Amino acid sequence: MRMANFRSSYGARRLALGVLFAILLGFFLLPQQLQALFQEIGGPVGWALSWPIRLVASVQDGIGETWSHYVALQDVEDENQQLRKELELLQGQNSQLREAASATDRLTALLEFKAQALPTMIAAQVIGRDAGNWHRTILLNKGSADGIQADMGVVTSVGVVGRVVKTTMATAVVLLVSDPNNAIAGLIQRTRDEGIVEGTTPGLARLKYIPLLSNVRAGDRVVTSGLVGGFPRGLAIGTITTIGKEEGALFQSAELRPEVDVNRVEEVLVIQSPYIPGEDGKSDEPLPKAKL
Amino acid sequence: MKIIVYVCAVAVLVAAQITLLPYISVWGVKPDIGLVMVCLVGLLAGELEGLLVGLFVGWAMSLFSAADLAASMVAKGTVGFLAGLAGRQVAQVTPLLMIGGLVVASTLASLMTMWSLKPNDQQDSWWMIRTIVMPQACFDAVVGGLCYWVIWSRVNLDRLVEGREV
Repeated sequence: MRMANFRSSYGARRLALGVLFAILLGFFLLPQQLQALFQEIGGPVGWALSWPIRLVASVQDGIGETWSHYVALQDVEDENQQLRKELELLQGQNSQLREAASATDRLTALLEFKAQALPTMIAAQVIGRDAGNWHRTILLNKGSADGIQADMGVVTSVGVVGRVVKTTMATAVVLLVSDPNNAIAGLIQRTRDEGIVEGTTPGLARLKYIPLLSNVRAGDRVVTSGLVGGFPRGLAIGTITTIGKEEGALFQSAELRPEVDVNRVEEVLVIQSPYIPGEDGKSDEPLPKAKL
Repeated sequence: MKIIVYVCAVAVLVAAQITLLPYISVWGVKPDIGLVMVCLVGLLAGELEGLLVGLFVGWAMSLFSAADLAASMVAKGTVGFLAGLAGRQVAQVTPLLMIGGLVVASTLASLMTMWSLKPNDQQDSWWMIRTIVMPQACFDAVVGGLCYWVIWSRVNLDRLVEGREV
């Protein structure tokens, strides 16, 4: 039976108390500065720690790959994957075409949308999920050294995945669209009503601040409005499932089923530079290209 | 030497927590093996090491999570420090006592994190307690209890404690 650690010196306890007190005081008095400092120091530490994560992730991928290709039915699996990819591509194209058709009615938005549809993107692989239970995040295998920064939008060909919230040199943490702390400017494609898409505690999403007079209905598709940085206009976020109208409330809200199954996402695209229109409506930047 | 062991242990632990543990989650909740490690270090090595390892684990984990850095560091550091203090007060630590201690430690750390997240209303708070705080405390306690039982039954802890620097 283990005896208690009677051998801990009084000095060690005093030192521990001192360190704890200093850390607490530091976080109370200089919360932003201290967080920034630790985040800065964390760059190289995160890079070093990312190697065991990549190693475990690659072993895990290898096992998963072996299972799906050799243990499970190989042909069916291949065909299924091919069809799934095609479906995802078609869904993505469908979403963008719908948006393009809608934008044609408003001539000024057409050029903007075409340019928005071609942002500079960085392809990245998902190597992990949140270390805790409090946030819905995924960890990408690319970080600040690859040009990824906080607040950049993350998408797949199907739609919006989330937003980058933290980076180290070799990794980036993406807060998923289903996390309650995430907020993305959304637009109902049919009615053109705008709102804010937030995650919900059970892991879905909600469109808030829909005008009371809006004739939104279940099945309407919600896309990014492009008003706030990170995402260009027209990327699919989700489909409305139920609409909530509370008596006396100034706005309506609607429950969404996110377009992307965030639990199964494996590869993503990080939007590095969404289209920024100049004063004359033309882009100030050279024609962007995809870095895939 | 001890520092290298701790750094390697934290690297393995963070990698496992991020990549493997999502597969063993129950109802979407996974154990916090960082917290379990901090408790064990606090108990076996004293409050100073518990605190320092707790701060480091909290920091390393927050680098790969959306969690607030301050809340993560302070929560795990405090747990390590308290585990060290508890180890000093208790004459004999059994796996059962470890389980009880971990329930308390995990609940405290989770409540601290919940407080830092500022839930919108009472309903959200209750939802978090019911679906995250309580299951995670049970999960952590089971994992920690098992780990301690393995160490307790395989390693001569008295010799381990005696070998510690004073």
